[in-house]
Amino acid sequence: MLLLPFLAGLVGLFLPGLARGLGLLATLASGLIALAALFAPGVAFYAERPLFEPAGVYYAVGLDGASAALALTTSLAVFLALLAVKEVPGRMLALGLLMTAGLLGIFASLDLVLFYFFYEATLIPSLLLLGVYGGANRVRALIKFALFTLAGSLLMLAAILAARYYGGAESFLLRDLLSARPEGAAATLAFLAFTLAFMVKTPLFPLHVWLPDFHAENHPSGFADVMGTLYKVGVYGFFRFAIPLFPAAFAAFKPYLLLLAAVTALGAAWIAYAQKDYKRLLAYGALSHMGVAALGLFSGTAIGAVGALFLLAASALYTGGLFLFAGWLFARFGTLELAPTHGLAKHAPALAAFGLFLFLAMVGLPGLAGFPGEFLSALGAWQASPFFTLVAFAAVIAAAAYALSAYQRLFHGPPGKAVADLSGGEWVYATLATLAVAFLGVYPKLLSGPIHEAAQAFVAAIGGGK
Amino acid sequence: MLLLVILLPLAGFLVLGLFGRRFKEPLPGVLASALVFLSFLLVGALLASGGARFVLEDWLPGIPFALLLDPLSGYMALVVTGIGFLIHVYAIGYMHGDEGYARFFAYFNFFIAMMLTLVLADSYPVMFVGWEGVGLASFLLIGFWYTDWKNAKSARKAFITNRIGDLGFLLGMALLYSLFGTLQISELKEAVEGSLVLPGGLALAGLLLFVGAVGKSAQLPLMVWLPDAMAGPTPVSALIHAATMVTAGVYLLARSSFLYANLPDVSYWIAVVGLLTALYGALSAFGQWDIKRIVAYSTISQLGYMFLAAGVGAYWVALFHVMTHAFYKALLFLASGSVIHALGGEQDVRKMGGLKKHLPRTHLHGLVGALSLAGFPLFAGFWSKDAILAATLSYPFGGVGFYLAGLFVAFLTAAYAMRWYALVFLGEFRGQGHPHEAPPVMTVPNDVLALGAVFAGFLALPKPLWNLIEPFLAPALAHLEAHEPAPLVEWGLLLLSAAVALVGLYLGYLFFRDYFKKKVPAWYRAFEQAALEGFYADWLYNTFLVNPAKELAFGLGLADRGLDRAYVYAGGGVGLLGRILAGLENGYLRFYAALILAFAALFVLWGVVR
Repeated sequence: MLLLPFLAGLVGLFLPGLARGLGLLATLASGLIALAALFAPGVAFYAERPLFEPAGVYYAVGLDGASAALALTTSLAVFLALLAVKEVPGRMLALGLLMTAGLLGIFASLDLVLFYFFYEATLIPSLLLLGVYGGANRVRALIKFALFTLAGSLLMLAAILAARYYGGAESFLLRDLLSARPEGAAATLAFLAFTLAFMVKTPLFPLHVWLPDFHAENHPSGFADVMGTLYKVGVYGFFRFAIPLFPAAFAAFKPYLLLLAAVTALGAAWIAYAQKDYKRLLAYGALSHMGVAALGLFSGTAIGAVGALFLLAASALYTGGLFLFAGWLFARFGTLELAPTHGLAKHAPALAAFGLFLFLAMVGLPGLAGFPGEFLSALGAWQASPFFTLVAFAAVIAAAAYALSAYQRLFHGPPGKAVADLSGGEWVYATLATLAVAFLGVYPKLLSGPIHEAAQAFVAAIGGGK
Repeated sequence: MLLLVILLPLAGFLVLGLFGRRFKEPLPGVLASALVFLSFLLVGALLASGGARFVLEDWLPGIPFALLLDPLSGYMALVVTGIGFLIHVYAIGYMHGDEGYARFFAYFNFFIAMMLTLVLADSYPVMFVGWEGVGLASFLLIGFWYTDWKNAKSARKAFITNRIGDLGFLLGMALLYSLFGTLQISELKEAVEGSLVLPGGLALAGLLLFVGAVGKSAQLPLMVWLPDAMAGPTPVSALIHAATMVTAGVYLLARSSFLYANLPDVSYWIAVVGLLTALYGALSAFGQWDIKRIVAYSTISQLGYMFLAAGVGAYWVALFHVMTHAFYKALLFLASGSVIHALGGEQDVRKMGGLKKHLPRTHLHGLVGALSLAGFPLFAGFWSKDAILAATLSYPFGGVGFYLAGLFVAFLTAAYAMRWYALVFLGEFRGQGHPHEAPPVMTVPNDVLALGAVFAGFLALPKPLWNLIEPFLAPALAHLEAHEPAPLVEWGLLLLSAAVALVGLYLGYLFFRDYFKKKVPAWYRAFEQAALEGFYADWLYNTFLVNPAKELAFGLGLADRGLDRAYVYAGGGVGLLGRILAGLENGYLRFYAALILAFAALFVLWGVVR
């Protein structure tokens, strides 16, 4: 599963013309594998081979319910993104495929060094995407992104080493580390190091500042933004590694983590309202969602964890969709400023309908993919802290404000400049994305069932509530 | 089968939304109406066969997708599909020639599907699906003529205001889940009724759900969106903002009566909010000049009555009023629509008058609607409003204060109902052109509604006469023991409220008969001006809430940029330190020696001082 997008990407790098076709095939295949894993009980496709035996480093991969769900939506999101973009360099798509391989690796890794390897490996194509295909201020955005991420991952590497040597585990396998967890001050420090790394990648306030620039400067087609959205794996890192490895430290810092999550959720949604650039608005909106997901996870409840991971998985589809949508607008107007014209619903009703649909998914309208994650996060978060739940979920009001204002400024009002409605290729993407987002909203069981299984293991590891 | 009730209109939405533009008028309208009628028949048949249930386990972990057709949801679903069908038919004529004809019926069917989801839900999250779904339908339909910024803004205002209530609903669910571990209504009911000691958080849960109801049903203080919602086409106002969606809050309270029956304090506040809203809406109605806004404020006021009934514990009475109100308020809106239609889009009552002559059929509809609203004896509105007033005395959470205040609002209601009728239909025609009566496709549905507005009240009469509604709904509602007054007292009160309605109508007639010819006292002018502005509720919100929130958004945005700068400077600081340190490495041996010496001296000094 990992290999396919990697190979496709590699070939695509040298033969840019083939990147799209190969990529579609590869992501389709990895998506199907993930789907199969979703229906299998326990950890599916488990494989374990020593990579560097003396140091206890293993190639250990497998998909449980949570990682299968994420792998599925990642593959699907990339598959759809490959369909949606046009007139972009094949090498850019190839880099995206390399990133996909890295992301799938992140989700599948069950060895911490392997996880670290994929975590870092994914960074390279994402930096290249920004650096080669980005906008005018890409260098600044790139430096910021790289510094934050690298600083975080160095701390994480230290924490991984500490986790093994202070706990006395035999290897870097997650299984071994879990059965010999370090305690005391070492565990606290290691947890904090992990926390900083994953806070950068969630991202959470105040380590989020790289995100708006990152999105604003990436290629206007939105393809790189989709990849960037998928790369926000912080919540998954907390879920899989940081919290289960150091439950005592997590319990000690829980109130502060909840606070940061709530501040992120509300603050970002509020700030989104004031943005004048489509991608910045989306960046803040998505940031707010990650705050909600983090809140659900930090509740330490199974239901909250399901909410967090569901939100993470589903938002890949609609947030990614909105970035691609921004790309379509750019193709029509040559700018990403909000509202280059108005009254567009008259000229482009299908474009308007699809845009509204995506925005509604983003604001968590029940029946669409954004709702189950938000809702379950709220149920879990309330059990941990009613107050922070209130603060964080006040964001649903702000979300309605920023999403509807952004939508209406462009599509409502007296008809202005006329542009083309959806083209043939865009219809294909819009149809498939709509089906996927609506399906996950109407029948969330597909993902929430398997994730719940994994979430129960998570809760068992930390001794939390239901 | 139960699922089909929802799927029929939903299919209509999909078909019309995707392919509607290829259909010729009036096919979309006919199709949409037929589907709603089928749903209506299906609900009736299922209800006759003793109810139905649909459950999909583990829709979300531990949370099933559960639908239930019991007497309560069946009653409500019949109102939604029955009145909904009539308004659909009316709209076939009203929307004639509109560019978005098919789109309109797609949205209309979508609304019905979501409203039925809301009503049939046996689990709060499922109800929430419908709850937000109708909110979306309302957004789409208020902003139906979106090319006008004003309409688009009204649509957004409605959605955002509703979201405040929705937040309450959401948090209420979270609290209930943390208390009982389930959100299925029938399970919660058992849990609450079965537990001897009620959890302390129950009152807060009741309060949070109530916040949701306040938003959806435009109660104080979240009422500001409803008058602006009149920006949508008139059938929308009739269906969504009068007959069905706005009563969802009342339905939520009735559905959750197992909670509120145990919460006297919360119930008291519900009644107070309802009463204040009833008063606010009635007073504001006196200042409106837009034919639809008068009726809109009247809707706010009537919803307040329903909350009053639910607050004192008379849940079946609240639902009785939901039904009679649906008839006469839909009728009032559709009659207004016919008037607007006849005058080519004119909505200002100052340019109407004398339409009795020009639009005889519509005049009759308007008269029946206004009389029913005013509580004219024996009309539907009379029976249900009197049942509410009587309930404030006989139900455990009621009180004499509620009764007297309710009676006063009834007087105001009769007066402003007459104002509406007199300004539109009596006196001389003050506008231009030649008004023409609406086609049969619009008048026939109004005939049916008018029959309901007259006779629907006979379903539930005071003792010792028959009452069909209370026993029908009883199995689905919490039971609170009412201490029945003696029949003589009850009928005495009935006469009193009849008298109040008649006096209100008569005084209203005297005052508004030839309003534009007479000299109006200055105090009334001042009152009228304040009422026109809805007593400055919008101004208060904008000044103290909306604008500061917007400013804060920009402020926070700047602060976030500031944080970004701070990191850059911190980064710059590190760079500077690096340059200074790099500068130390200058290759001069004597410099290094001096540095070593200096630090050694500092070290010794530190040791001595310490």
